[in-house]
Amino acid sequence: MLAIADNFFAQFALPAGFEIDSGKLNARYRELQAQVHPDRFAAAGEARRLQAIQLSSYLNEAYETLRSPLRRAGYLLRLQGIDVEQVAQSDLAPELLFEQMELRESLAELPENESAFDQLDELNRKAANRLAERQGQFVQALAGNQLEEARKLFHELQFLHKFQMEIHKKEESLESVADF
Amino acid sequence: MSLLQISEPGGGAARRAVHRRAAGIDLGTTNSLVATAVGGEVRTLADADGAHLLPSAVHYGAAGVLAVGAAAKARAAADPGNVVVSAKRALGKSLGELQTGGNFRPYRFDAGKGNAAPAFVTAAGPRDPVEVSAAILRALARRCREETGEELAGAVITVPAYFNDAQRQQTRHAAELAGIEVLRLLNEPTAAAVAYGLDRGEHGNIIVFDLGGGTFDVSLLSLQKGVFEVLATGGDTALGGDDFDQAVADWLIAQSGAETVAAPDWPALLQVANRAREQLSDADQAEVAWRDWRGTLDAAQFTEIVAALVRRTILSCRRVMRDAGMDTGAIDNVLLVGGATRMPVIRGAVTKFFGREPLTDIDPDRVVAMGAGIQAEVLIGNRSTGDFLLLDVNPLSLGIETMGELVEKIIRRNTAIPVAKSQEFTTFRDGQTAMALHVVQGERELVSECRSLARFTLGGIPPMVAGAAKVKVTFQVDADGLLSVSAEEASTGSKAEVQVKPSFGLDSGQIEQMLRDSRNHAREDMRARALGEARLDATRLMDAIKSAIEEDGAILSAAEQDGIDQALAELRKALAEEDPTRIEELTRELNRTSEAFAARRMDLAVGAALRGESIDTLGCEAE
Ligand SMILES: Nc1ncnc2c1ncn2[C@@H]1O[C@H](COP(=O)(O)OP(=O)(O)OP(=O)(O)O)[C@@H](O)[C@H]1O
Ligand SMILES: [Mg+2]
Repeated sequence: MLAIADNFFAQFALPAGFEIDSGKLNARYRELQAQVHPDRFAAAGEARRLQAIQLSSYLNEAYETLRSPLRRAGYLLRLQGIDVEQVAQSDLAPELLFEQMELRESLAELPENESAFDQLDELNRKAANRLAERQGQFVQALAGNQLEEARKLFHELQFLHKFQMEIHKKEESLESVADF
Repeated sequence: MSLLQISEPGGGAARRAVHRRAAGIDLGTTNSLVATAVGGEVRTLADADGAHLLPSAVHYGAAGVLAVGAAAKARAAADPGNVVVSAKRALGKSLGELQTGGNFRPYRFDAGKGNAAPAFVTAAGPRDPVEVSAAILRALARRCREETGEELAGAVITVPAYFNDAQRQQTRHAAELAGIEVLRLLNEPTAAAVAYGLDRGEHGNIIVFDLGGGTFDVSLLSLQKGVFEVLATGGDTALGGDDFDQAVADWLIAQSGAETVAAPDWPALLQVANRAREQLSDADQAEVAWRDWRGTLDAAQFTEIVAALVRRTILSCRRVMRDAGMDTGAIDNVLLVGGATRMPVIRGAVTKFFGREPLTDIDPDRVVAMGAGIQAEVLIGNRSTGDFLLLDVNPLSLGIETMGELVEKIIRRNTAIPVAKSQEFTTFRDGQTAMALHVVQGERELVSECRSLARFTLGGIPPMVAGAAKVKVTFQVDADGLLSVSAEEASTGSKAEVQVKPSFGLDSGQIEQMLRDSRNHAREDMRARALGEARLDATRLMDAIKSAIEEDGAILSAAEQDGIDQALAELRKALAEEDPTRIEELTRELNRTSEAFAARRMDLAVGAALRGESIDTLGCEAE
């Protein structure tokens, strides 16, 4: 049904790297799902149907991993044999801890009304800029084979991503009280 | 019947040995439909009166199901409590939720059978929402059988995209109980997108905004060459036309100065509210009367009354766009689905939010069933798949309870399905040999704010120091959006597995028992059905005769009048009892007694018509 490639990038016939052609990724994903999706085997035997679920799940996992910049970065490190699940205190430089605290505080201080929207946008931009900056550094570190540096940068990306999620949550809670 | 011949473009049918009857079923809160292939094209089927929509109402009497559909709905105000409507909104709910939910008037609930779902208390005894849904599904399967002359081999049943695991499980159970083979549970907005997009070869990003009688979904899909990829979905399974009716009803109560409304009066009040609300879709104001109070509801007042509800739909739209990381500017089309999107307040809010006029050239009532019908044809193998493919997502995050009553999310919302994900957990006490796992669904951080799906225990962990054992928990969501969970301890390979069922749901043993019961009760059900039909025929005849006498009573002789009165009285008496044969007999008797009168009325009517016609024309036609 489907030949499983060595890694997710190869699965979608894409070069392994942080920069990715998302149009191609999506097109290949659709092509491959068309071959393995359970809907294609609805009338097949039990074993075939089970296999379809497994292969389709695998493709979804591969697709979602490569689609998200953060998960893609973590996956690239894993391909280099680096475990990104474990975070040690030493991975977080003091400057980073300060940055975290500063961002979190500014989020916590926002008023619970519409006037917070503009400030939220501002924070969102700040986080996005920092993400872009760190992503650039991550790509460089990876290219220069500075894996330890890349790992630290990954954790910074992780933090900024999480911060963005919190901004979204805040946005949602503000929307539920605000006029628009 | 030539209607039944299914031919397929490209001669696919010729090559296939067997054609199996497949259908798509839209099991709606207010209206349900069935669609199947007729003459190579998937269409919704109508009943004998030409109605495609089957009102999702079931009338219960002492003997069982009296009527399903329009006949049941018509009795809602007269027999409150025994006509169950909007049962879909009770699916997957606990007894507590039903009793405090507010919007389930005039019903009473009890715990149901054993640990099955909580039930509506009806004249037929407790009937849970699964059974009510099964009665509706049975009626649709029958319609399909009668129209096509074939047994239904399988069906795709639609569910709101935002349905949780418990609601999906119970929908599946309802179909099983109705003896229907479920090919797939399909999300309603996805089904709508298929019906809309497939024929036209649409491509681009489309929004499906589906506001029905009881539920609201909004999905963002990317369409390309027959592939329908859901990018994000959101909604509210307790938001629909019913809530708008409720808001108008509350307004009516306030206006009329009524202190309280007794539970049995609610169906009538909600009908008044519903009529006014639907009128406002075509008019600037609606006349309303409730008890002695009379007044008007105008569009501006209505807009104000329902502002909070409209706003909730738009909040969901915002969230979907945010989840997909897309701006509304990137949307190519907005599709309105569900009867409640006919409300101008909704159209206005949607147009404003997405910055474009929604499409209005599709039938918002039928698209969901049609999309499901198309998918059913493909899944059962009657129709070649070509490029056609549906890629859907998991609507709500799935996770597991960890220390401090927090939720660790394992599968996030809007993840493409099917999907399998694993995560490792460890013991927190030295020598711990078992681990209790609590599976929850929802977006909140605290367990208490999410829906509990299942609890199970993994035993046989060898005693080790805290944190040494490695337990791998795997969540698998299949293409129906249903979850199963397994756990395995790494060093011993000790395993535990559950198909997640709501704590008050049915296990397969219970389903079998219910199936057996329902087979045993089949005769009673048939009798109940016959009774319902006999009553309906009788009332129709009685009504017809009464209005005839009102109009043309002058041409009745005293003896005739007596005869008819007597037949009417006897039939009325029989109606209060539960013997269908007797009702039928007396209906025939009444018909006989009034025959001469009816014939004379006919002559009169024809005479009146003739007087208005020119003799020439008639003469010509006769030749
Ligand atoms: N012209 C109209 N104006 C306003 N509302 C309408 C109109 N026509 C139908 N509706 C409303 O649409 C609702 C029923 O819609 P629909 O049949 O799509 O729901 P459903 O599919 O049964 O429910 P759901 O999809 O939520 O399970 C009812 O609340 C009804 O009042
Ligand atoms: Mg609907």
